[in-house]
Amino acid sequence: MSLQLKLITPTATVMDEEVDQITLPTANGEITILPGHVNLVTKVVAGEMITKKGNRSQGFAVFGGFLEVSKDKVSILADYAVRAEDIEVGRAKEAQERAQKAMKDKATGQDFRIANAELRKALLELKVATKHKRIVSK
Amino acid sequence: MATLLTLRRRIKTARNVSKTTKAMQMIAASKLKKAQDGAVSSKPYVEKLNELSKTLSSKIDQDNLSPYMVKPQNTNTKLYIVISPDKGLCGGLVTNLVREVLRLDEKGKQYFITIGKKIENYVASFNKEIIASFPFGTTLPSFETVYPLAKIIDEYFLDKKVSEVIVITTNFVSVFAQTPKVTTLLPISLEEFGHINGSTVIFEPSTDELLPDLLVHYIEMSIYQSLLESYASEQASRMIAMKNATDNALDIIDSLKLTYNKVRQEKITNELLDIGGGMFANYG
Repeated sequence: MSLQLKLITPTATVMDEEVDQITLPTANGEITILPGHVNLVTKVVAGEMITKKGNRSQGFAVFGGFLEVSKDKVSILADYAVRAEDIEVGRAKEAQERAQKAMKDKATGQDFRIANAELRKALLELKVATKHKRIVSK
Repeated sequence: MATLLTLRRRIKTARNVSKTTKAMQMIAASKLKKAQDGAVSSKPYVEKLNELSKTLSSKIDQDNLSPYMVKPQNTNTKLYIVISPDKGLCGGLVTNLVREVLRLDEKGKQYFITIGKKIENYVASFNKEIIASFPFGTTLPSFETVYPLAKIIDEYFLDKKVSEVIVITTNFVSVFAQTPKVTTLLPISLEEFGHINGSTVIFEPSTDELLPDLLVHYIEMSIYQSLLESYASEQASRMIAMKNATDNALDIIDSLKLTYNKVRQEKITNELLDIGGGMFANYG
């Protein structure tokens, strides 16, 4: 038995594969979904998602959205999602610096919120990317 | 009778026009490809989001609806969002939109939000009240353009300044057909999908907390979808318009060339006649 996982963002379908288990952060804390899970709809918060198939695990950075489990079909609607190995560390670092600078320079209203969101996204990407790299190198 | 020089000039002009329109046609074709890809790749998200919204709203109490789903009773004001391209030269697309705007029910007060310079000019000339206008841009609209728009809509609808929010955009039927489309964005009516009697589903946190978030996404995505569709329609319409323009220019070149050759031949014949006449005169 396995789960059919669909990870969908407004711009692309990031993943559509069979996996054995999914661990991801939700509004009520981190949960793990295994085959045979009860039907569930919940909110996904920004964080790291890990899927496992056999011995292989795969990391993702997801940013907000919704999760639906329905008869071993798992659909995740994320605002933004990226595979760990697709994260461009250089670009994420750049984005982090840019956001930090923007927050220092013009810390007002809308601009600040955008910069803050960018920063959180960049930091999460970096975290997921480095962690995943460690797993690979082991 | 036109002289050879003016004919030559006209042929040159027509050829230049055909080159320009051909180039515009190619650009529109490549942009159309991108627009279609964009629409296709956002489709799974939209479908799933609709499904989820349906599931969720079928579980919710009828007296406990989200403010997005309730029609305010105290006002008959409508907010129209009209989406058009920034640039012309795209066939009857803008004209059709304008016709749709003129056909609107005049009862009650109307507010307008315009996206795209073309429609902004028209709506302003009809003396309608524009509360905001955005440029459409000439590239594939990015998702960020939705946020300021959604904010204004929230402001007007949730403060009960308007009773309905209606989107007027161009529906991309196919590359050869684009029709104006008028849809009601708010209040959201999910009842029309009917109740889904599925097995039990757990909602975490409660449905009352999930639904508002979901509906915000739903609204943003609906707007974005309208923008994408409008963009695809614009490019398709322009591509066809420019193809027709190119064909027409080539037709003109053909007929001008025919006249040019006729005039040229006539001139040569006349010259020959002159020479011949001169020779006969000498011998005679």
